[in-house]
Amino acid sequence: MLFDLSQPGRRAARLPASDVPHVELNELLPAEARAETPPPLPELAEPDVIRHFTNLSTLNMSVDTHFYPLGSCTMKYNPKRNERMANLPGLLDLHPYQHEQSLQGLLELLYELQRYLGEISGLPAVSLQPAAGAHGELAALMVAAAYYRDLGEQRTKVLTPDSAHGTNPASARMAGFDTVTIRSTPAGYVCLDDLRAKLDEQVAVLMITNPNTLGLFDRQIAEIADLVHERGGLVYLDGANMNAILGIARPGDFGADMMHYNPHKTFSGPHGGGGPGAGPICVTEKLDPFLPAPVVGRRDDDYFLDYDRPRSIGRVRTFFGNVGVLVRAYCYIRTYGPDGLRAVSENAVLNANYLLSRVKHFLPVPQGDRCMHEFVASAEHLKKEKGLKQPAMDLAKRLLDYGFHAPTVYFPLTVHDAVMVEPTETESKQTLDAFAETLFRVTGEAGEVLAEAPHSTLVSRPDEVRAARQTVLRWTAEQPAS
Amino acid sequence: MAYLFNTPEDQRAMLEAIGVSSIAELFEVIPAALRLNRPLNIPPALSELELSQHVQRLATRNSPAGQSVCFLGGGSYDHFIPAVVDAVASRGEFYTSYTPYQPEVSQGNLQAMFEYQTLICQLTGLDVSNASLYDGGSAAVEAVLMALSVTRRSGKVVVPASVHPEYRQAIATYLANLDAELVTVGTPHGRVRLEEIEAAVDDQTACVLIQQPNFFGCLEPLAEVGQIAHRAGALLVAAVDPISLGLLKRPGDQGADIVVAEGQALGTPLQFGGPYLGIMACREEFVRRLPGRIAGQTVDRRGRRCWVLTLQTREQHIRRDKATSNICTNQGLFALRAAVYLAAMGPAGLRETAELCLRKAHYAAEQICRDERYSLAHGGPFFKEFVVRDGQGRVEELLADARQAGFHAGVPLGPWYPELQDCFLVAVTEKRSKSEIDALAGCLAGSPSDCTTVYA
Amino acid sequence: MDPKDLLYCKTHEWVHVAQEGGAKLATIGISAFAVEQLTDLVYMELPEVGGEVQAGQPFGEVESVKAVSPLYSPVDGEIVAVNSSLPDHLETLGEDPYDAGWIIKVRITDDSGLARLLDFAAYQKQCAEEG
Repeated sequence: MLFDLSQPGRRAARLPASDVPHVELNELLPAEARAETPPPLPELAEPDVIRHFTNLSTLNMSVDTHFYPLGSCTMKYNPKRNERMANLPGLLDLHPYQHEQSLQGLLELLYELQRYLGEISGLPAVSLQPAAGAHGELAALMVAAAYYRDLGEQRTKVLTPDSAHGTNPASARMAGFDTVTIRSTPAGYVCLDDLRAKLDEQVAVLMITNPNTLGLFDRQIAEIADLVHERGGLVYLDGANMNAILGIARPGDFGADMMHYNPHKTFSGPHGGGGPGAGPICVTEKLDPFLPAPVVGRRDDDYFLDYDRPRSIGRVRTFFGNVGVLVRAYCYIRTYGPDGLRAVSENAVLNANYLLSRVKHFLPVPQGDRCMHEFVASAEHLKKEKGLKQPAMDLAKRLLDYGFHAPTVYFPLTVHDAVMVEPTETESKQTLDAFAETLFRVTGEAGEVLAEAPHSTLVSRPDEVRAARQTVLRWTAEQPAS
Repeated sequence: MAYLFNTPEDQRAMLEAIGVSSIAELFEVIPAALRLNRPLNIPPALSELELSQHVQRLATRNSPAGQSVCFLGGGSYDHFIPAVVDAVASRGEFYTSYTPYQPEVSQGNLQAMFEYQTLICQLTGLDVSNASLYDGGSAAVEAVLMALSVTRRSGKVVVPASVHPEYRQAIATYLANLDAELVTVGTPHGRVRLEEIEAAVDDQTACVLIQQPNFFGCLEPLAEVGQIAHRAGALLVAAVDPISLGLLKRPGDQGADIVVAEGQALGTPLQFGGPYLGIMACREEFVRRLPGRIAGQTVDRRGRRCWVLTLQTREQHIRRDKATSNICTNQGLFALRAAVYLAAMGPAGLRETAELCLRKAHYAAEQICRDERYSLAHGGPFFKEFVVRDGQGRVEELLADARQAGFHAGVPLGPWYPELQDCFLVAVTEKRSKSEIDALAGCLAGSPSDCTTVYA
Repeated sequence: MDPKDLLYCKTHEWVHVAQEGGAKLATIGISAFAVEQLTDLVYMELPEVGGEVQAGQPFGEVESVKAVSPLYSPVDGEIVAVNSSLPDHLETLGEDPYDAGWIIKVRITDDSGLARLLDFAAYQKQCAEEG
């Protein structure tokens, strides 16, 4: 632990001496405002810091080191050229309150990105402001609320399918709506009868993920959108799975009125151990006036930040947006171009289907023989076969021993003992073969071996009950060192 | 293609294994009418070399800090970033991993999160920190929502005008769809007046949000506001500048129940406003209302100390519409940067940084105001930022002239505060040298000869 | 209390109703089956004495590591007692769910909800189907 390494008087950073005329601190800052001592941070030498964190890094699996088929997270390769571009001083060292005239290159980049995202989605009005997918959902639902306020309509409900990501209902609640759950059919699609039964004039928005969380394209989407639109509602598309349909189908063309992207998934922004992401949203023209301000505008050859949007919902955060992530997305889109982006989705879908074809013989995929960019298998049969309580978890843990990151497990809840696999397009057939073979081998191993896996990692099966019951959320000096 | 690796031979073998004759067949599940039957209207592909040249061209059309001398603040600051921060954060094992859903292969991230949480508690004087939120503004919003939930009051939220206007705008955006009312208390003197806070707070008030130092750089009577809030059963939420805590009393020691901060100053580059770091900490008793991920310590099946994500029932993936927040993705990489920054600075480095900011800011204020055209808009103590009033009221032209001379001289306040139309906000970090400050003062004083000696 | 003498909600709460000084008093807890299904409990949130409950509405929560289960009241009434030692002794819920593991006591203002509850046999049948 960092804190165990601390030695009084040791330090890494040294600041220069003050070069302005000396004034007593008391004259600058009243004594009652000042702390007697600085915060009790650890005291370390520079090599301590580097060695500590470098050693910590080796305890992680990552895309740079391992195949990472974490379903719904789109863990594709993070191009190094994008890192280099985003770190150019001319993009990295820009202050958010610099004058527009000193930002023309960046504003052009962001303006173009707005346009690309609008084109790829078929929804032309774009805000780059939200900081993550869930933040984009929330911003879009606020846009919907403002739209109905503007129309003078009282709509209180948001519909979400039971297979939806938890952020959907959570975002709806934060935007002031009540949520109503729509059932899925056993095949994983929206149950149209249930949707019809729950659609009324109180419904503001239907939130839908398509391709859905089972990796299936819901063919009823146009009909679903028509039903919602007939009752005056809006359709929100959760863009988490856009990696399947780039250049192939556009949400705006299949009935969506609003959507968000996850550029850290679809457009290769690195996931950063849990962030940052970004959550740009795209909407139809009629919703454009309500988008968060500012957006980037263009006047002849000049780019500017357009704050003059009187019907805007306002801000959902400080400053413009997660620009660092957006610059990487821009680089990614420019690297591929129109044919390339289409090839991304084609190969993502090819890889997923290939893996599905290899896995389904020993790990059933309840929703059938085909998928889009990911599929959900079920490990339920291993419960009885091997006497396992949580077979999907056990498989996941055992894969770690063989040098593969685990798939997402126990999501979505609509499949028992779900194993959700998303290989992405940046893996080769050889990697997929190795993974499938390992998965096959693992399903043949003894129950005890699986139940106690992983065996080769530094720690195995942390006690989560203890963590939640006897919470230790920070280091304190009283703790015994270990 | 850049990052696609299946050879045509691989593709043929894969299609055969799937049992289809072409990739197009895999997409037949999408009804033909819903498919796009033309190429996307975006520019053609670029090779790495072409991309580099293109983006570099765009980059040269900007004036970054370093090329121009940066005196801009308002929540984003040109602080020094030690090389160790970049060295750690550029390790692929950190930046290309994801949320630690599998703790066995994420102990690096989890332990770093736990250490970050500890460092934030040490810095703020509070009991519990989460593992990060998006940025300072959205953290302030989350703190307000948390206060509404903790106090079970849905009446009002009291926020003085001296809080960052964009924080206040974000709070207003969120509250527009909820029941609570945002009560803004004016601060014509650049800081709150206790009697006005007292008058605004009542038994339906969930919290008072105070920024310390405030948006204008001035110090607020944090402890006294806290007493007023607590007397009414409301919480005190403090939004702080983490660098200032090298010198100032910690908000946790002054009665703050929830502390939020923009963590950008702790080792994150400016990058035009994001991604930054939302810091949030609270008192122990409120931990179950704290939004966002939290790492907790436990032991594994062999009894070894380790870390996991904990108290997850607060979160959206379990509690769905009743979650404390909808947040999922956070700012892990920037929490890591902050942890490395604080570890590298230590108590002495943080204090020295804060002192340099304080001294240089006061020197700059004095130098700028030597010209009688300029005066400080507000009296009283300030930290590293201050508001300058231009007696001639020509803020826009003035800042444009300074830009020409190579200075990002300040942030005009008119767009947020009509009464400060003739004012701009100047921030001075430890990076600004005396000669840069002198040159800025000279430039503002309209002395062309001083403007040529920009570079120190 | 003998589990055979209790009434049960479909949501796994049990209730025992007694006459006390002219009012009806309901003691409410959760069944052994529910505790087993929830696996390792880590937290419990209880209401305060004096609060109102409504039939079919939640009055508290129990949590395991990865699940939250609301506790539903079978009756309308006022909470007159809360077993406040439970959150610190969650094991009681598993060890003695029908006596020491009681959760709240309610002075009933409307007992029409009781008619919708299951008796022991019907509840056992439901558990067999769920299990």
